[in-house]
Amino acid sequence: MTLVWCVCSKQVSMALSLSGLILPKLTQQRAFSVSAAVAAIQKLTRVRVVDNSSLGNAHHHRPPKVIHVYTKNGVGKVGDRVLLAIKGQKKKALIVGQKMPGARMTPRFDSNNVVLIEDNGNPTGTRIKAPIPTHLRKMEGEYSKLIAIAQRLV
Amino acid sequence: MRIEKCYFCSAPVYPGHGMAFVRNDCKVFQFCRSKCHKNFKKKRNPRKTRWTKAFRKASGKELTVDNSLEFEKRRNIPLKYNRELWSKTVEAMKKVEAIKQKRQSRFIVNRLKKGKELEKAADISEIKKNIHLIKAPHAGQAKQLEDKMVQKLAEDVEMDE
Repeated sequence: MTLVWCVCSKQVSMALSLSGLILPKLTQQRAFSVSAAVAAIQKLTRVRVVDNSSLGNAHHHRPPKVIHVYTKNGVGKVGDRVLLAIKGQKKKALIVGQKMPGARMTPRFDSNNVVLIEDNGNPTGTRIKAPIPTHLRKMEGEYSKLIAIAQRLV
Repeated sequence: MRIEKCYFCSAPVYPGHGMAFVRNDCKVFQFCRSKCHKNFKKKRNPRKTRWTKAFRKASGKELTVDNSLEFEKRRNIPLKYNRELWSKTVEAMKKVEAIKQKRQSRFIVNRLKKGKELEKAADISEIKKNIHLIKAPHAGQAKQLEDKMVQKLAEDVEMDE
């Protein structure tokens, strides 16, 4: 009898997790939503611009979206360049934080953060208030200007 | 390189272990292992999760205020390198660690002393309640009667004399 019950509850919890809700234990009665597995940044992902550029902070009725990722596969990780569509225009940007867990000694961020960039690689804004991962220093590419304007390194 | 403290269970996080999470309000959380990380994602409060150090300190189960614990606090002022200071600090660390362990164990032993007294009192009351399992109610009565009779005879003999 007990075996059947165990299987039933697993199916129930699986069904609930698929619908986006997992029932917490009876000891802690708080309903919360659990998101599905997070992936890296690809085309059409909505990103968060973290510098103080006017284009990045201007409010538009649509969030900035990635329309192209400049890597061999279409997957963007921290340190990759992407093309964004912001306020009806195309702008290049650099990924500085992702929700997906990456390499072991790198932090995971709460949102997919991005810094606007010119075609030559110079940042558009003058200050970055959000934390920037320090492993950008060791990565190949010119991130020194970004690190220079970053206020907080994690 | 720095040995961080796990946000959830307060264990030391050595380099190469655990995970870091940066929240959008720029607060950084370090975790020592996925157990703590998963509990954090479930939005559990470490002060209410019984196996964490945060719970133990908040509920008075462990030493909270002590001089030896002041050494663990983070100092954000960098010191100029001085070889003497460095080697002396290493020796001091060993001594402070020993003292801290002793004080912490003493605190716990003192906390548990009350339990021993309660245990003893409970045992005594249990025996009194269930004495019928150990000793029959009329167990010593025959001997008592005999002793009384012997005493009475002795008194009679004295009176006669």
